Amino acid sequence: MKIVKIVLKDLKTVLSDKKALAMILLMPLILMIILNFGMKGVFMSGDFGDMSRINIAVVKQYDKAEDILRFDRTLSSGFFSQGMSKETAEELRESGEDVDPEGIFLGDFLDSEEVAKIISYRVEEENRAYERLNSREVSAVVLLPDNFIYDMKINMLTPFRNKVDIRVLTHPDMSISGQVVRSIVEAYSDAMSSVIIGKNVLVEAAMEHDLGDDGFKGMKETMEGISSAMEGIRVDIDNVEVEGRKNISSADYYAVAMLTMFILFAAGHGGRMLLEEKENMTYHRMIMAGTPKLGILAGKFFTVFLIALLQISIMITFSYYVLKVQWGSTLPVMLISLSSAFSVAGVGSTLAAATFKAGNYKMANIFETGVIQTMALLGGSFFPVDILPSMFQKLSFLSLNGTALKAYLKIMMGYGMEEIIGYVGVLTAIGALFLVLSVLILRGEGETVNVKYNKIKTAKA
Amino acid sequence: MTLLKVDNLHKNFGSTKAVDGISFRVEKGEIFGLLGPNGAGKSTTISMISTLMPPTKGEILFEGRSILEEPKSIRQKLGVVPQDIALYPTLTGYENLGFWGSMYGLKGAGLRKRMEEVADIIGLNGRLKDRVDKYSGGMKRRLNIGAALLHRPELLIMDEPTVGIDPQSRNHILDTVLELNRQGMTIIYTSHYMEEVEYLCSRICIMDQGRMIASGTQEELVELIKGETLVSLKLDKPGKDILEGLRSVKGVTKAELVLGEIAVTGENVDIILADIIARITEYGRRISSIDVKKPNLEAVFLHLTGKALRD
Repeated sequence: MKIVKIVLKDLKTVLSDKKALAMILLMPLILMIILNFGMKGVFMSGDFGDMSRINIAVVKQYDKAEDILRFDRTLSSGFFSQGMSKETAEELRESGEDVDPEGIFLGDFLDSEEVAKIISYRVEEENRAYERLNSREVSAVVLLPDNFIYDMKINMLTPFRNKVDIRVLTHPDMSISGQVVRSIVEAYSDAMSSVIIGKNVLVEAAMEHDLGDDGFKGMKETMEGISSAMEGIRVDIDNVEVEGRKNISSADYYAVAMLTMFILFAAGHGGRMLLEEKENMTYHRMIMAGTPKLGILAGKFFTVFLIALLQISIMITFSYYVLKVQWGSTLPVMLISLSSAFSVAGVGSTLAAATFKAGNYKMANIFETGVIQTMALLGGSFFPVDILPSMFQKLSFLSLNGTALKAYLKIMMGYGMEEIIGYVGVLTAIGALFLVLSVLILRGEGETVNVKYNKIKTAKA
Repeated sequence: MTLLKVDNLHKNFGSTKAVDGISFRVEKGEIFGLLGPNGAGKSTTISMISTLMPPTKGEILFEGRSILEEPKSIRQKLGVVPQDIALYPTLTGYENLGFWGSMYGLKGAGLRKRMEEVADIIGLNGRLKDRVDKYSGGMKRRLNIGAALLHRPELLIMDEPTVGIDPQSRNHILDTVLELNRQGMTIIYTSHYMEEVEYLCSRICIMDQGRMIASGTQEELVELIKGETLVSLKLDKPGKDILEGLRSVKGVTKAELVLGEIAVTGENVDIILADIIARITEYGRRISSIDVKKPNLEAVFLHLTGKALRD
C-alpha cells in the first residue's frame, strides 16, 4: 500500500514539474514532427550521405557458353541472315563476340564509380545467396535469369527484343537498403532500354530508307557506346515497396525511433529520484516512518514504469492522429510497450540505486548525456541501423531502444506475434536483470542511512 | 519517568569525532534542550536517536528498550522534525500531509481528520491547497513540523526548527512547541539560539565539539557562573592588546574578544565597571556601547568554552 502512495506521489511530482514534462513528453513529439518532415526526402531517395556500402549477391541462372553458342546459331540461321551480305553477317558476328552482357552488368555497371560507391557485390551460387540473404549478410540477391546472355545479345545486336527479367530479392528487415538495390537495378534496366531503343531506331531507319544491311554496320560502334552509357547512369532511387510487407515511411520510423529513445529519459529521470529524496531528507523521513528502503526502490521502479507507459501512450496517440502512423495490431503493440516500459524501469532502478550510493548525479548525467545518445545511435533512433557501418550494426544489440524499435517496426510492417516474442523476451529479461541489480546495490548500503553532517568540519576545527 | 536514556554515545566519521561520549536522560513530559554552536554534534546526536544513523559506540534506550535492537517498533513512537525542509515543494500542503500520514499508516477519514487537527496546530488551515514552493520560509517550517505530528508521536525531536525564518513565524513555532508540550508531548529541542532554549526548555544539555560540556536546569547551569556578570563592550578599536590590560583589573576573571566585542566576566562587575572603563581609556580607546548582562546560558557557554554560541 505504501508503494502505491509513493508511486502516486512521484507521479504527481513529475507531472507538476514543467521542465521534466517538457523533456519527457513534449520534446519527443516536437522531434517526431521535425524528423518526419526533415527526413521524408531521405526515406524517399535513400540518400543517406556517407553511408556504408550495401552488400548484395549476384546469381547467374544462365549458362554462358550455351547462350553464346545459341546466339551464334541464331545469327547463322537462314531466317536472320536472309538479305544480309556475307561481310555484314561476319561483322555482326564479330560485334556479337565483343558484346558481353555479363561484363556490362558486372564490370561496366556494378563496378562503375557511381554504383560502386553504394553497392558491393559478390557472385554466388543460388542457394548460398539465399542463405546469406536470410542471415542478413546481404541486403539483396540479384538474379540474372536463364538465357540472360542470349536474350541480351539478341536485344543489343539484332532488331528483335526478348524479355529479360532481372529479379531482386530483398530482406524485409533491410527494407531501405533493399529499396536502394531495386532502384539501382531499375536504373540499369532503363539505361539498357534506351541503348536498345537507340539501336532499334538505327536499324529501322536504315531499313526504311532502303539502306539494306548498312543499318547493321554501325552496330559495333553503337554497342561500344554502352560502356559510356553505363558510366552515365545516375542512381535515382525510388520508393519501392518490399514484397508482402508494409513500407516504413519517415513518419512511421521516427515515431518509433523517438518513442524508443525518449522512454530512456524516463530511466534517467528515475535515476535521480532516490538521491533527490535523500538530499531533501524525505528519504530519511520515509525510513523514519517505517518504509523499507526496498519499498522505496520499488516505488521508483513502478514510477518509471508508469512514466514510460504514459510517454508511449501519448506518443502513439499523437503519431496516430497527427502523423497518421499505423502502429499495427493492438495486442503485440501493447506487449512491446509493456516490456519496453519494464526494461526502462529496471534500468531506471539500477541508475537510482547507483546514483544514491555514489551520492552525486554524475552517473545519471552520464546516462542522459552519453549512454542515451550512444544507444540512440546504435539502436537506430537517429538513422536506420542497416545504413550504418557494419561495426555499428554489430553493436546495436547493446541498445535497449534498438530492440524495442525493431519489435515495433516488425508489427508496423505486418509481421505476427511470433516475430516479436523474442524481442519482448529480451526486453523483459533486461528489465528483470537490472531490477535485481538495483536491489543488490541498495542492499549493500546497510540498514541505516547516512545523514548530512555539514557541521563536523567546524567541530574538528 | 525516563523516556529516553542516552549513555556514552560516540560517533566517528573517519578520524573526526562528531559525538564524543555524551550521556543524558529525557524525562516524560519535558522539553529537553540540546544547545550548542554549529558543528557541536547536535544533529548527529539527533540522527542517532532517530535511528537514522548507528552510533560508533554507546547505548540509546527508549522506554528501556534499545533503539539499536528494535528500531522499527520505536520509530512509530518518534516524530522527527529535520533541520532541512523534508517536504515535496511541487505538491500542495494538503498532499504533503496526506502522503506523510499515509506513510505512518493513517488512511481514510482518520487521516483526513488528523490532517485538519495538525493544520490547526501549525496554523496553516487556510493555505493547505497551495503548493509548498509558494509558501514563505516560516510556513514551510510549520508544515515540516506538522508532517512529524500526524501519527501522534510520544517523543518529538526538533532539530533547529526555526533556522532562517522571520520573528513572527519563529514565535508561532515556539508557541506551538509549548502547546504540544502542554498536551503531554515530550520534546527534544536543539538550537544554537540561546533565547529559544531558555524560553522553552526545562532541562538543557550544552554541547561543543561533540562533547557535553554541561547539563541541568537553567538555574543549575547559571549556578555554574554564580556571582559573575558579563559585560559586553563595543570599542572603536577592539584589539587583543587591550585584553591583557583588562585581565589585570582586579575582580575580572575573563576578558575575551567575541564577535568583535570585548566580553569581560567578573565578580561584582557593577563595582569594578569604573576600573574597566578607566583601563580602556588608558589604552586610548573610545567606548561606543556597554551592555551589562544578567547571568544566562550565553554567559555560561562563554564561561565554559571561551567563545560565543554563534562563533
